Amino acid sequence: MKRMFALLLTLAMVLSLAACGGSSSSSSSSTSSSSSSTETSSADEGWPGKTINVYVTHAAGGDTDYMARQLCTALEGVLGVSVVATNVTGSNGATCMQQYKDGDKDGYTFIATNTAALNGNEATGMVDFGYDAFEPVAVYGIQSGENIVVPADAPYDTLQELIDASIANPGQIKYGTSTGGGVYIQTCVLTNLGGAQFNIIDAGDGANRLTALLGGEVDATSLPYSTAADYIENGQLKSLCTCLSKAPDLIPNQPAASDTVPELKIDTEYVLLAPKGTPAEIVEAMNAAVLEATGTDDWNTMVNDYCFQNPFVLNVEDTIANLKEQRDLFQSFVPFL
Amino acid sequence: MILQGLTEVLQPMTIILIAIGTVVGIVFGSIPGLTATMAIVMFLPVTYSMTASEGISMLMALYIGGISGGLISAILLNIPGTPSSVATCFDGKPLADKGEAGKALGTGVVFSFIGTIIGIGLLMVLAPALCDFALKFQAYEYCALTVFSLSMVIALTGHDMPKGLISAVLGALLATVGLAPIDSKPRFTFGLYQLNNGFALVVLLIGLFAIAEVMSYAETVRQNQDFTIRSNVKIKGVGFTFKEFVGQIRNAIVSALIGVGIGILPGIGGGVSCMISYTVSKNTSKHRELYGTGIMDGVVASEAANNGTIGGAMIPLLSLGIPGDAATAMLLGGLQVHNVAPGPLIYEKSGNVVYAIFFAMVLSAIFMMLFMLLGMRFFVSVLKVPKNYLLPVVVVLCAIGAIGNANMLFDTYCMVGFGLMSYLLIKSKVPTVPMILGFILGPTFEQNLRRVSQLTSSDPFWNHPIFCVLIIATVFVVIFSVRSNLKDAKRAEQAELEAMQKAGSDE
Repeated sequence: MKRMFALLLTLAMVLSLAACGGSSSSSSSSTSSSSSSTETSSADEGWPGKTINVYVTHAAGGDTDYMARQLCTALEGVLGVSVVATNVTGSNGATCMQQYKDGDKDGYTFIATNTAALNGNEATGMVDFGYDAFEPVAVYGIQSGENIVVPADAPYDTLQELIDASIANPGQIKYGTSTGGGVYIQTCVLTNLGGAQFNIIDAGDGANRLTALLGGEVDATSLPYSTAADYIENGQLKSLCTCLSKAPDLIPNQPAASDTVPELKIDTEYVLLAPKGTPAEIVEAMNAAVLEATGTDDWNTMVNDYCFQNPFVLNVEDTIANLKEQRDLFQSFVPFL
Repeated sequence: MILQGLTEVLQPMTIILIAIGTVVGIVFGSIPGLTATMAIVMFLPVTYSMTASEGISMLMALYIGGISGGLISAILLNIPGTPSSVATCFDGKPLADKGEAGKALGTGVVFSFIGTIIGIGLLMVLAPALCDFALKFQAYEYCALTVFSLSMVIALTGHDMPKGLISAVLGALLATVGLAPIDSKPRFTFGLYQLNNGFALVVLLIGLFAIAEVMSYAETVRQNQDFTIRSNVKIKGVGFTFKEFVGQIRNAIVSALIGVGIGILPGIGGGVSCMISYTVSKNTSKHRELYGTGIMDGVVASEAANNGTIGGAMIPLLSLGIPGDAATAMLLGGLQVHNVAPGPLIYEKSGNVVYAIFFAMVLSAIFMMLFMLLGMRFFVSVLKVPKNYLLPVVVVLCAIGAIGNANMLFDTYCMVGFGLMSYLLIKSKVPTVPMILGFILGPTFEQNLRRVSQLTSSDPFWNHPIFCVLIIATVFVVIFSVRSNLKDAKRAEQAELEAMQKAGSDE
């Protein structure tokens, strides 16, 4: 009996603890939302008056996180308040976007992600909302992209030759993909619109696809340029083309996949979003701050070094147009995704 | 280049960062719910603004400190601080209960150091050669390796084999929650997006061990017993004699090599290496029946292996650019941010950084041993805190860790749920450790099995000798252990019968 009582006591303790956590967080969100209702009237005047939270959809260490954090640091200089980046990761960014798309609309909550994840997750059906479930603030950079790579001694030198070889021997060329994200979309376009007849093998994320290619488990795959660069330089691998719509600014002499398969354009751009319903004045003010923060020499150097690209920052109108263009392209793939 | 690396590490600023990193790592490691990976995640953005050598040195120190710190709570509280120290509980806690907490801690610390150094040594000397080994492991080989590891650990759980199997299968089932590998179909998510990522290992770990430990302690709360352990916690030197040290050398080297081997293979990690090494050590020992009762050998096997894994995991990371686990994936990001691209050209392009990494690892291993040996007296004093004050604090820390894992309150509910599940399992005498193994290896198995099914048309299994050898070995392990299990059961039955007869004749 005593034992049961003790057990119940522990249970109560543990549960109350969890409940405490719950109530404290809900109370904090309710206070912030109540403060938002008072602030929205004079939104553009008082803003920003406190710490801004930026939720990053991908894990620390990746490019989306790095770019988001660089932007946060640069924004602090312009806005004069702390801009704190927090990672909420999982499901190619879908977890974070789901959690914050209806977040506080007071101009102190933003989401930093990339366009391929935003539009790709909608196209593959991972989530049932698109960029229009947010208030897009700014596209603020473009990735160095993925390249289609093969071992250096492979008999094909262009994407067209690879596709032709696969048609000559259907199902014999093993192509490494990663189901769900941009690479998956790229593979589907390659087979459905490019006519390639690969044996599609799921080979996991970039690092795992690299292992599979080096170990001979797959004959061709796509890798982030930054992962493949050293292997291309030391003569183990060769790149057939980039999957960006045009080669990165600092490594220009590469064919683009869209030269061979016109629809094959996977541009991963870094984008800042606000929860739906954030006042337009704040979105505009934030966009202005992003434009100012990224207009420096430091930003230029950082983007050159990290992305092999020149700075690419858009105003609100162009950001939305850009997102719409990619969404329409990705939605046209939906039938075979 | 070697000298350049050394001078970069020997800057006062770098040394301070390594010291801070090691201490923070130990703290993260020792608190259940906070892991080495979380320490690295938290500090990674801080290193963006440092130089490459400073940043990487600090991250390495966090990694080594974090993996080593887990032994403290494993030994003192029977709650592993990180997944890597699960097997340290087996003998560490009984040793502490015998009043030899100092010896257990000292053993853990010193052999963690030795394991780390063996790992770093192999990393420095053999990295390129060992990389070829890592590349030989593809879908087929992983498939067989996971089956082999699982069957070995389950088979060797002893007379509880069926219950070990139940536990491991439960773990594998829990791991199927979330988006499926390969096709990203949501499974068992009940429409909750919080479940899309599946359960986090750390949440399961604290539920299984911390919450369950608190609950089973609560059973005794009204028995008016003494809540402090008045054991002899005086510590002389490192807690064990030179003779004892010499006796463990073979065990330590074998365990560290197992750790390095598992570290090299991407995707397996320290949580598995400590358990495999413990099982191997137990079954090659002359006094296997003493394992689990509190002997040094068990602590040595677990701690030398999990720290050996660090050096092992760095081998494919540096030479191929392939991270072996969550912590090294963070390190990969940390290197790339500083324009150091791990891969075949890293020695040519950033040789100074590579050597700086080696020296930083050695230095933080030394710091780790120093700080932990110095701190031992302080750690042991934790035992003097009455458990009715100590354990609620542990629960709070666990909840913080669960939330911090993905910034989701949802994970604390899971933690409580796993705690209840674990309590019921313990009551029905189902061991919970195989569950952790099933949870880690289940998804690896599934993913690679599905890859194999895509490959099999153009690449049949007889092209893969490692696969065939491992599968045959698995069959032998199963047959052998089922036989010895049956024999043990018969012997136990006979002993029982004899005891009954004896009792009958006594009457």
